[in-house]
Amino acid sequence: MKENIRNFCIIAHIDHGKSTLADRLMEQTNSVAKRDMQSQLLDSMELEREKGITIKLTPTRMNYSFEGKDYVLNLIDTPGHVDFTYEVSRSLAACEGAILIVDASQGVEAQTLANAYLAIDANLEILPVINKIDLPSARPDEVKKEIEDVVGLPAEDAPCISAKEGTNIDEVLRQIVSTFPAPKGDQSAPLKGLIFDSFYDNFKGAVCLVRIFDGEIKAGDQILFMQTGKRFDVTEVGIFTPKMESANSLSAGEVGYVTASIKSLSEVNVGDTITHVERPTLEPMPGYKVVQPVVYCGVFAVDGSKYNELKEALLKLKLNDASLQFSPEVSQALGFGFRCGFLGLLHLEIITERIEREFNIDIITTAPSVSYKVIKTNGDELEISNPANLPTPVEIEKIYEPMLKASIFTPPAYVGAIMQLCQDKRGVYKNMVYLDASRVRLEYSLPLGEIIYDFFDRLKSATKGYASFDYEMDGFAVSKLVKLDILLNGEKCDALSLIVHEESAYSRGRAIAEKLKKIIPRQLFEVPIQAAIGNKIIARETISALRKDVLAKCYGGDVTRKRKLLEKQKEGKKRMRQIGSVEIPSEAFLSILKLDDEQ
Amino acid sequence: MIAIYVHIPFCESKCVYCAFASFLTGEKEREKYFEVLKKEIAACDFDDRDVQSIYFGGGTPSCVSEEKIASVLETIKKHFRVLENAEITIECNPCSASEKKLASYKNMGINRISFGVQSLDENMLKFLGRRHNKLGALDAIKRATAAGFENISADLLLGLPAGDVKKDAARLIRNGVKHISAYMLQIEEKTPLKKMVERGKLKLPSDDETADNYQKLASFLQKKGLKRYEISNFALPSYESRHNSAYWTGGQYIGFGLGAHSFDGKNKRWANASNFEDYYAGRVQIESLSTSERDEEIIMLGLRCSFGFNIKELSFDISKNKSFNELLKQNIIIKNGDIITLNSDFYGVSNSVILKLLDD
Repeated sequence: MKENIRNFCIIAHIDHGKSTLADRLMEQTNSVAKRDMQSQLLDSMELEREKGITIKLTPTRMNYSFEGKDYVLNLIDTPGHVDFTYEVSRSLAACEGAILIVDASQGVEAQTLANAYLAIDANLEILPVINKIDLPSARPDEVKKEIEDVVGLPAEDAPCISAKEGTNIDEVLRQIVSTFPAPKGDQSAPLKGLIFDSFYDNFKGAVCLVRIFDGEIKAGDQILFMQTGKRFDVTEVGIFTPKMESANSLSAGEVGYVTASIKSLSEVNVGDTITHVERPTLEPMPGYKVVQPVVYCGVFAVDGSKYNELKEALLKLKLNDASLQFSPEVSQALGFGFRCGFLGLLHLEIITERIEREFNIDIITTAPSVSYKVIKTNGDELEISNPANLPTPVEIEKIYEPMLKASIFTPPAYVGAIMQLCQDKRGVYKNMVYLDASRVRLEYSLPLGEIIYDFFDRLKSATKGYASFDYEMDGFAVSKLVKLDILLNGEKCDALSLIVHEESAYSRGRAIAEKLKKIIPRQLFEVPIQAAIGNKIIARETISALRKDVLAKCYGGDVTRKRKLLEKQKEGKKRMRQIGSVEIPSEAFLSILKLDDEQ
Repeated sequence: MIAIYVHIPFCESKCVYCAFASFLTGEKEREKYFEVLKKEIAACDFDDRDVQSIYFGGGTPSCVSEEKIASVLETIKKHFRVLENAEITIECNPCSASEKKLASYKNMGINRISFGVQSLDENMLKFLGRRHNKLGALDAIKRATAAGFENISADLLLGLPAGDVKKDAARLIRNGVKHISAYMLQIEEKTPLKKMVERGKLKLPSDDETADNYQKLASFLQKKGLKRYEISNFALPSYESRHNSAYWTGGQYIGFGLGAHSFDGKNKRWANASNFEDYYAGRVQIESLSTSERDEEIIMLGLRCSFGFNIKELSFDISKNKSFNELLKQNIIIKNGDIITLNSDFYGVSNSVILKLLDD
């Protein structure tokens, strides 16, 4: 039976057509009736579909006959964004093969390479597929050569397809069967299964998505999660078609799901190993780690009275996303809220958008921050993810900031601009490789804290969108960082504090003061805006007092209209926050990140 | 005591900034309107029958025949008790205020004229779509004085692209005007003015410039003895409009005619429909004010007047509010016993102050 199984995933740079190919494969194998076909079935969340990216993985089992034999193809989808690299690596570990899609006109991009290397590291067999050959600008032969030269994979026989138009999908299916190896594993050995993803179901509780490597699992089994040490009784096992369909058992080589009345997703760690309590396997699966957030920000309800609703929303989101972290936070400016930790900026954006959209709560988010390690002069070690909590300069011995290894793919024409950008962002040049006449790969070491501050927008505009970018976390480095405070009418606004590099503090302080002057409406009195490091004021702007703001005349005793106008204005004021005696609009808190458009 | 407002929704032409209920209709429509209007007055069953003021507003009340106005006034006198010293005002367009008309207004007992002058700058008058010119406006005031009127008010607009409002005011006072209403030009929805501004065809002075001009006008009028008794209204002693004061102090008033508003002095406001069909059908929109809405009104209206509001009138103890005390400390509002007034330096930003007071 095992010989007829193929477990594989699809990896690609964003927009190269991963979801479309997945749809076609399912259609071609009749896994979904055409009439049920909803474009890009796997990307099920509304937001994912809107952003054209896959965040949540949904595996699918397909049946395929080839040369008289029936095969089971398990497609394990992977998220295509760098925020979710660990999840990608666990999904890859559940497979024997990976389809590497490359866009026939764009060629190899940063994520193509990053994902291909992840797959090679995971010892997967890789099948390159050239997609979008229907485009007039398609250059499949050159792209094949690029794959061979840049990625180092043979691509001579790579299927050239158009997932959009359904061209050559059969060839992909044939090569899946012939190229990818069948899973190995011993059905009689002790149970060994990898949890490569999980989600929450209102009726079944946490659902573990598993790949069984050895042994067999069925309902009623007593199981053990080896990393967390937790024990459960299996209530159901099954497969995805892509709907959940219960099965008698899952055995070595198979992919499916396990439920065990697990109440919360935080009890299921992706990468953990499932085994039997009675007859455990000797070694857990390698590569397990606990995912830590890398980006943090404060999240507050615009309407302060909605604190509890916000808490409910975060709890519900966490049910389905164990990587989201949050803890209560009190800000003088914004009141009660939460400091949330995310896997990256995209993750942050998705969560905050879901709070607003699915839970209908208007929120204020503060500027994202990374987590710094601070050694105090008294030897204490702190982790600081909220700039407001940074100790005073005299108390600090050293600050370490998180670093990353970045690789940027670009046409040679933009190398200069990118180098300038990386230098502005305190990047350290590592390497540059000319892949061919039209493409260069640049490697930089960059502080994460600089990436979360307008790096993507600037890269995009500096290269007209032609460059692609990928990174991996790369430890911590000592840095000269200071806390930049903003004072409004002489009062420090904690929610506007930022941790910045000493050298850029002056220009950032000036730019923020200027920006706030534009954003904060005039008040009844003059409002000075100051930027300060410690007690030292480094920039100052002044908002002059409001002069004219009178209600329309009250004609013929129409007081009602006047009151309605006033009430409308009152409603508008709910988006304002009071800091000391100054009212500031909620947009101000994020606007301080977007300064470059004005410079 | 009640104040009566009568709406005359007719004009000879429409001004660029106007968003009021006014129509350029023919004589037949006017006849019908006045019939309905008189029936409405006759049918009014409001408890209080003592009338302290009557105000004919529009539209342009002076563009209909004086007989029509007289018949309305008679109807009111027949059904109400108009007090001997009642203030009776009619709004007039300088062009339509002929000698004959003014004389008959005087005869029927009208004792106050309010002229829609707006500006004495020829270009601005043309731009606004007014039918009169500078001389026309001054002549009309002279005619009114000659006809025996001494309580004369004039409207002026601030925030126009050109003109000198201070000079205009001086001119008007020299000609015998006792009361000036100075309003900021409002860009109302669906007006030709709004379109001009949107198309970038019109450059209006900045808010700061307008605020400066207003300040200058206010101190000039003060010097001339005209007291700013309401944000937009200035008067020589004893020439304050009693009718408008009723709106601001929570007095009871009844509005007759298209789109006219009424208030029972307690918590009920009602308004007639603002199109002919619904008005003729007698459709009325009634609003019952909640305690907090009435509180809002007391604050909103009181702060616009030099006499302020009495904190005892409110349903809650405002002196416990944070923003109230903050504004007091900043000397933006002034407390004198139980009376709260707005510091006149902040008249220009009254709206923001009111909003702040309503904050908690």
